[in-house]
Amino acid sequence: MIRVLIVCSWGMSTSLLVDSMLAAAVAFGYELTVEALSAGEYAARVDECDVVLIAPQIRHLRKSIEKLAVSVGKPVALIDPFHYATMNGQAVLEQVLYLLSGAKEGEKEL
Amino acid sequence: MSVMMERSSAWVERYLVPPLGALASSVYLQAVRDAFIIFTLPLILAGSLFLIVANPPIPALATLIAPYQQDILVPFQLSFGLMALFLSFGVAYSLAQYRRTEAVQPGVLAMVLFLIASLPVGDLTKLTFGDVLPYLGGQGLLVGILIGILTTEVVRRFRGSRFTIRLPKSVPPNVTRAFEALVPAILLITLVWGLEWFVSSHTFLTDGKVQQLTLPILLMRVFQPLVFVQDSYPAALLEIILMMLLWSVGIHGMNVVTAIALPFWLSTLTANATAHGHGIVTEPFFHIFAHLGGSGATWPLVIYMLRSRSAQLRTVGKVALGPAIFNINEPVTFGVPMALNPVMMIPFIMVPVTIVTINYFVFSIGLVHVPVVMQPFTVPVGISGFVATGGDFRGSLLQFFDLAVSALIYYPFFKAWERVLVTREEVALQPVESRVPAPAGVR
Repeated sequence: MIRVLIVCSWGMSTSLLVDSMLAAAVAFGYELTVEALSAGEYAARVDECDVVLIAPQIRHLRKSIEKLAVSVGKPVALIDPFHYATMNGQAVLEQVLYLLSGAKEGEKEL
Repeated sequence: MSVMMERSSAWVERYLVPPLGALASSVYLQAVRDAFIIFTLPLILAGSLFLIVANPPIPALATLIAPYQQDILVPFQLSFGLMALFLSFGVAYSLAQYRRTEAVQPGVLAMVLFLIASLPVGDLTKLTFGDVLPYLGGQGLLVGILIGILTTEVVRRFRGSRFTIRLPKSVPPNVTRAFEALVPAILLITLVWGLEWFVSSHTFLTDGKVQQLTLPILLMRVFQPLVFVQDSYPAALLEIILMMLLWSVGIHGMNVVTAIALPFWLSTLTANATAHGHGIVTEPFFHIFAHLGGSGATWPLVIYMLRSRSAQLRTVGKVALGPAIFNINEPVTFGVPMALNPVMMIPFIMVPVTIVTINYFVFSIGLVHVPVVMQPFTVPVGISGFVATGGDFRGSLLQFFDLAVSALIYYPFFKAWERVLVTREEVALQPVESRVPAPAGVR
């Protein structure tokens, strides 16, 4: 089970991306939960996820979001704006898997 | 063309993004905005429903309802009418989340403090509810926000500090939490009550009646000129430009401006809804009448894109169509893209500015009824204009007129940008030999 948090603004447009990601996960046989949260809710609930993604419209908050994610050891990345725009769930799912594989390799090194 | 574009992009990234980003990342603004969306908005929307029922647009129905109007308004007054009370909870709660500390306790404490700040100190049994009601809603928002911020900032500093009651480790955490909150609660209650006692020892004259002053009344009197100034064309212009500048660099502009202007928009809207005011610059003025199809009034662009010669724009157009109906346009903003795109940034700012100008003029000469009802920004264009104006069909006509204006202004810029994209796509489609040889293994 992969738990993804997407930090965004109102959660309106992100919910479309969430649907698309879940569809892609079903198609590729992954178990996935995705939640879209505001930056405040994210700060309170960062421990409940495996991967943190940042929606492009709040990229000005990127530094503080990344700092918190890194401090609790969660992989974090900005969603590509064009993938976000076209609600390309498959591409974002690939990004999640890539982030997770990176995190696992890092653990092995330690 | 492309050199110039890259240079202006670099300029935007370097000089426009950092200050706008800094403004948007203020924790207090974010907390106010979250509080508004999560805690206050649902109550405002639900309450507005009763306001619509109590003031039907059909005269025959209105006379039928007239004897029951006050009864129907009760749910409105106890939801919409108490929004400052709930906002104080929301601000304290959301700020606590940003500060990564327990959030419910400061939220509840903030509500208590807000009530202490809003009721004159004295014999409460002699108090008329109707006298304080306006200051628990539209007129108390500033006090609600300030109390919310104060509460969380004080409570969080007491957590784990030596000025708090310490209990042995064997005591259950819930008991510890309750005692931890006790010291700041006593301190804050005493502070706000003392301040209110001092303020309400003064009186003022209103409608020939002597009334005790309270913190919200005092603050409203201080900020009244600002509310007045805010409800003006220059202020509307400034707000829409700031919104679109933020969106032009890919930051959620409506959110940032909402957090700053909300207390003013809501007190103007409340005056429109309850006291037959004629305020123009309110939340629906932007969400319902300017951002048609999403921030920047991008509805017509979606239509253009569906039939575009550029494959990228056609792809984006297909994805953008559904969300556009509900005024969501992130696919447009990041897909065309509008954000950080020197060509499209120009109309992206110019279109809403033109629409706001037209609408301000139309509302001010009374061609269309001023907005009185707040509704979710996702209500489709056409319906939303009718509802926002309390059932004036000319509200919908204005929206369609604005859409036509948007379509006209966007067209030349869209065509220019389309040409750029088509050229790029043609280059990408040329046979591989004519381009730089790709490394082995890459198609």
